[in-house]
Amino acid sequence: MKEKQSKERQEETTQLIIFKLGEEEFGVDILQVREIEKLEQGITRVPKAPPFVEGVINLRGDIIPIVDLRARFGLTLPELGVDSRVIIVEVGGSLVGMLVDAVVEVLRIPVSAIEPPPPITKGVDSYYLAGVAKLQDRLIVLLNLEHTLSPEEEKQLGELNEMSELSEAEPEPELEPEPEPEVE
Amino acid sequence: MDVSQYLNVFMDECQEHLQSLNQSLLALEQNPDNPEIINSIFRAAHTLKGASATMGFNKMSNVTHAMEDVLTLLRQNELKVNAEIINTLFEALDLLEVLAQGIREGREEDIEIAGVLQNLQKFTTQEPVSKPDQAAERRRTLQLRYLPAEIEQIKQAVGEGFNLNQLHVYLQEECLLKGARAFMILRELEAHGEIVRTIPTAKELEDERFETDFIIGILSKKPLDFLVRFLEKMLDVDKVEGKVLSVDEVLVERRGGGAAKATASDSGAQKGGAAAKILSNVSPTVRVDIRKLDDLMNLVGELVITRSRLEQLSSEHEDQTLEETVQQLTRLTIDLRDQVLKTRMVPVDNVFSRFPRLVRDLARETGKEVQLQISGAETELDRTVIDEIVDPLVHIVRNSVDHGIEPPEVRTAAGKSLPGIVELKAYQAGNNVVIEVIDDGAGVNLEKVKARALERGIVSFEELEMMDDENVMNLIFLPGFSTSDQVTDISGRGVGMDVVKTQITNLGGVVEMSSEQGKGTRITIRLPLTLAIIQTLIVQLGDEVFAIPSTLIDQTISVVQKDIKMLRNREVTLYRDELIPLIRLQDYLGVTGAKNTSLEELDVVVVTTGERRVGFVVDTLLRQQDVVIKSLGSYLGNIPGIAGATILGNGKIALILDLRSVA
Repeated sequence: MKEKQSKERQEETTQLIIFKLGEEEFGVDILQVREIEKLEQGITRVPKAPPFVEGVINLRGDIIPIVDLRARFGLTLPELGVDSRVIIVEVGGSLVGMLVDAVVEVLRIPVSAIEPPPPITKGVDSYYLAGVAKLQDRLIVLLNLEHTLSPEEEKQLGELNEMSELSEAEPEPELEPEPEPEVE
Repeated sequence: MDVSQYLNVFMDECQEHLQSLNQSLLALEQNPDNPEIINSIFRAAHTLKGASATMGFNKMSNVTHAMEDVLTLLRQNELKVNAEIINTLFEALDLLEVLAQGIREGREEDIEIAGVLQNLQKFTTQEPVSKPDQAAERRRTLQLRYLPAEIEQIKQAVGEGFNLNQLHVYLQEECLLKGARAFMILRELEAHGEIVRTIPTAKELEDERFETDFIIGILSKKPLDFLVRFLEKMLDVDKVEGKVLSVDEVLVERRGGGAAKATASDSGAQKGGAAAKILSNVSPTVRVDIRKLDDLMNLVGELVITRSRLEQLSSEHEDQTLEETVQQLTRLTIDLRDQVLKTRMVPVDNVFSRFPRLVRDLARETGKEVQLQISGAETELDRTVIDEIVDPLVHIVRNSVDHGIEPPEVRTAAGKSLPGIVELKAYQAGNNVVIEVIDDGAGVNLEKVKARALERGIVSFEELEMMDDENVMNLIFLPGFSTSDQVTDISGRGVGMDVVKTQITNLGGVVEMSSEQGKGTRITIRLPLTLAIIQTLIVQLGDEVFAIPSTLIDQTISVVQKDIKMLRNREVTLYRDELIPLIRLQDYLGVTGAKNTSLEELDVVVVTTGERRVGFVVDTLLRQQDVVIKSLGSYLGNIPGIAGATILGNGKIALILDLRSVA
């Protein structure tokens, strides 16, 4: 009995949500996922938003930004289909939706199956990846959500200079003040 | 004791007491002999002392204690109110404000209080406080009043043959454990009747929060003599004064009219104080954290949205019962929203009350004679707006005194009355609250404004030529019009008015200025009642729908294609005798499929940003709608031109445009 328990501990597992971008399979840790939504109301475009932000959706009264992972990874743009889903995840205290082509399944895999990512996997820079899970006949790419979704990191990469405005600043529901000149 | 959880409550109370101290001190300056004012100052200082000592803020309690000592002498007429005392008390008040700030920032310990303490103690060291006198004073001033419910009880009991006895019990000065003794007395006395009320309250007596005497109001069938003798026999009781009150006497006292009990004339004010204290004990208010109200407001916002959605669904179903129910829900929701908005409202008095002091100090500094007239202080505004309005208002009032009101000799020479008047006015007008600052000072010298604007390179000579007086006046609101080093150069005004304007606009408000040279200036601020819900114009552009805050909109107009001219490659049109640029909103927002390019008649939303007007061309004006502002969240941060988003009745999101940054 004891032996079995210790064996189980060695065989530590993690649960992943597996989704598809094109034909490739990606995974995110289930603990980071809030929920999975269909796109019933469509996405409201936000002008002047960073290019990988597809827009915002209304999630039961909350406004949630939607990140298009394909645009993020520089892959060919998807077309919204019946299988398209939004995976709502929590990153850095904000809820963000990831637009994916399909959600496949929830999978339990042994932690030992996860390996560090090679520099480029399926056309995605390893910077965005947490690792690669090799199963018998599948290769699942695990996302590093902090890197994938954080606008902060984007700045660091220097890809989008005009985004320098995006900081940790609290959201301001009111109209934004214009820069104030130094006057008494 | 860990007091951190009470800190917020303490700070709130502290702020209230400081404010009331400020008001009372100003009042005292006007009426130095009014004992009621001295008492209210004393009470505020006393309460602060207790509260700060409990919280362990020793410096604050030391200062308030020293103030209390001075005030005690004033109360007992051993010291006369004079300018020196008032100034010292003001000085102490300022220090208390500094201390309060220090406490908030956790650095109370670093603040120097010795100087002020010394100044306060100067007044008290002259003559020692004589204790018996103080006790005698209190003795004379205790006064028993009854609540309406108690009066009913008394009426009924008197009808049943009970007498209302008022027993004034004096304990011996040297009595130990007064609290326990008082408790015993009350308990023993209960065997002979029903105690309606005591002053101080039974709880206060038990906690020993009284001097040596207290009054008991008791309904009893026993004769008064018996009760008096019964009490006098008890341990530690010095003497007992008793009398039987008729119901009429109780009622008279309740009204605060002629006192049934003979009291010294100078204690009248304290009676009022005691009454206020009793009334405040039953005050039907609850202190609520503003965040809870914010949450509530959010929920109501959701409800409003869900309601509109339901309304839309029901209109598709054509079911009369459903429609009626939805209508009822609509009414309820609107009522609920209004009520929640009301709970967030606070009177502008919270802001106005600081101005008498400000004006007084400014007038002194500048050697001017200024009288501040406040009206409409009871007008209510959303708490968030109140917080934000302080700075701009201080700016404006400061300008009025500093640049508006002339020095006394100038006023006299111009045949104007003294003192100069600054009026601070608030009133509600529809969905707005209007705050006006009016002075009867020198007014704005438009020629000087023009000269200044030219000098600073804000406008060109040609532009100036085309401007009417109103436009010239509005130059004052432009950034760069004045900076601090130029304040004294210009006799008009304009110290940082651009900042004022920005702050007001950020609140969704509007600021206007009018002035007549030699007669004075009027600055009008229009503010929305609340920030959470704003009125917008919903417009369509291609397949997308946007909301434009109504406060930004000057007017919506219809422009036919032939009225559009090209000027330097930009579309312009004539609007109120003025050429304004037209911006196709789709160009700015990157909307594809906008239809206005092929329309013969264009819907144009004219947006005002300061002196500039810009026309935004949309496809269709859909409707006016009150919307709940929602943030796009920290993930998207601040996107220029977008103030937030709202959820429409159909569940779709409409972005709220902040077109000022575009125009």
